[in-house]
Amino acid sequence: MRNLLRRSQLGLHLPMMLAALLFLGPLLWMLSTAFKAPADIISGLGSAQWIPQPATTENFRNVMGKAEEFPIWRWTANSLFVSLAVTFLVLVVDSLAAFAYSRLRWHGRDKVFALLVATMLVPGQVLLIPTYLLIRQLGLFDTYGALIFPASASAFGVFLLRQFFLTIPMELEEAARLDGCGPLGIMRHVILPLSKPALATLGIFTFMGTWNAFEGPLLFTDSTLMRTLPVGITIFQGRYNIEYGPLMAAAALAAIPVTIAFLVFQRHIIKGISLTGLAGR
Amino acid sequence: MNQHLSGAAKTLPRKSDGLTGVFFALPHLVLFATFVLAPVAYGIYISLFRWHVLAKAHPFVGLENYSAALSDDIFWIALRNTVYFVVLVVPLGNLVSLGLALALSSVRRWGTFYKIVYYLPVVISIAVVVVLWRWIYNTEIGLLNLYLGSVVGALRGIGLPLPPFEPLPWLSNPSWVMPSLAMLTVWWTAGGNMVLYLAGLGTIGDDYYEAASIDGANAWQRFWAITWPLLRPTTLFCLVFSVLGAFQVFGQSYVMFTAVQGGPVSGPARSGLTLALYMYLQGFRQYEIGYGAAIAYLLFAIVLGLTIVQFRLLSGQSEAKS
Repeated sequence: MRNLLRRSQLGLHLPMMLAALLFLGPLLWMLSTAFKAPADIISGLGSAQWIPQPATTENFRNVMGKAEEFPIWRWTANSLFVSLAVTFLVLVVDSLAAFAYSRLRWHGRDKVFALLVATMLVPGQVLLIPTYLLIRQLGLFDTYGALIFPASASAFGVFLLRQFFLTIPMELEEAARLDGCGPLGIMRHVILPLSKPALATLGIFTFMGTWNAFEGPLLFTDSTLMRTLPVGITIFQGRYNIEYGPLMAAAALAAIPVTIAFLVFQRHIIKGISLTGLAGR
Repeated sequence: MNQHLSGAAKTLPRKSDGLTGVFFALPHLVLFATFVLAPVAYGIYISLFRWHVLAKAHPFVGLENYSAALSDDIFWIALRNTVYFVVLVVPLGNLVSLGLALALSSVRRWGTFYKIVYYLPVVISIAVVVVLWRWIYNTEIGLLNLYLGSVVGALRGIGLPLPPFEPLPWLSNPSWVMPSLAMLTVWWTAGGNMVLYLAGLGTIGDDYYEAASIDGANAWQRFWAITWPLLRPTTLFCLVFSVLGAFQVFGQSYVMFTAVQGGPVSGPARSGLTLALYMYLQGFRQYEIGYGAAIAYLLFAIVLGLTIVQFRLLSGQSEAKS
């Protein structure tokens, strides 16, 4: 592919830069609006003013100052806690399971695994109504359990880690067994240390996916204090219908942590997608 | 996919690990059985009842919810809108993703910078994306109409016979709603498939292109003779999952219309009503949760049918290749 357009690097950079502006523009506009005074947002009529003059943190103070109605710090804490809990749970539970499906021999193993894989084609929307009723019946509605457990149940991580574990040579495992390791020892001393890239990929995707999750938190909680940031933003929008300054400040607050996480881990993330075929949906 | 499934038997050289295996798989299986398997079955069960959340009794009605949906005009509006959305997003989104991937694979400097920028929207929550685009689409002071206005103004300034710019009603005119939702969706998701296309391009050896160049093929000919056929498995994979994702469109309409107070819950003249949103409105606004479940399973049936058709294409292609 490298040869396809080798000669015209400048002709390549121009459209690529234009595309970069199209992808980045809306996000920069969000930041710009968040720092503008309300009057400036409306008087922008007729021309787009990218640098807020004067810049003000009024919108952010507005967003954070209404803790009773819009507990944005609580929402942030909820999002952070739930995302970390789901990531931790998924990594532990899925690596144990992936070990069982790739390295241990037990009755019915391949049938159960085929069932896991088959469910990966079930659209998430199909699960929402029955999961909602189940959660009510289990007494989990509007609790952290409702935000954590359904989000940790997918077969995807098991599938991903199993594929990776299968590539680790059996000889290493046999050597550990001769040294007296049991299954747990083999997993801890052989499999997991060699699977760091796959674990990192799964961990990052689980974290970002949970942070951004929308339908589950919307339906499985209903008190203001149990909401996560994405759902909180829509509550905020319900009130500040067209007051775009506070709205963009809230949106920016929700987007910034995950953007930073992405920039820090972008190498892992982009490599991880091509490894797993997961396109961040 | 096939290769993933058949890789199972090779790692079984010794005797059974008996209960140890079950023990390791159990924590995940408990979660999976409770929150994936049980809901799939429970959803079918619910869909067979007239199940109003607040009612005490839920009479069994057999397939009545399904037949009611199929003769419900609003269900068909939702289906039509959803199909329209899929038809807009899947080809356009994949074209953008492929274009970006081709550019990235050819560019020699700043590749990582471009890649990060194009991927950035993917990591942001749909709620944030829609709140932001609602502002950009604002008819009077939205960024999009501001720039379109200046472009039209500039073109008129150099003497082109264009009519004066009328601000476009992106979200208030029913015929603009789905294109608007599709456009923000392409912006949001293009980076995901881009990375997959890029990985697919990376598996095509440089020697093909060198040979073609020696034979005097130009860039256009090289694309159609080498890149396009060899990229086919990736293309079909991306198409399958784009269709799967696009059919489930919910957050775009919900955040844009339903979550906004005072406006119509599913957009002007129901133009933003999708199948998943209709399921939500029936199940959680009308409390007709049995009917909502039936809509969800009709959505599932459609998606499953399309996925099977596309997987046939996918495996047919890879067999033809090997």
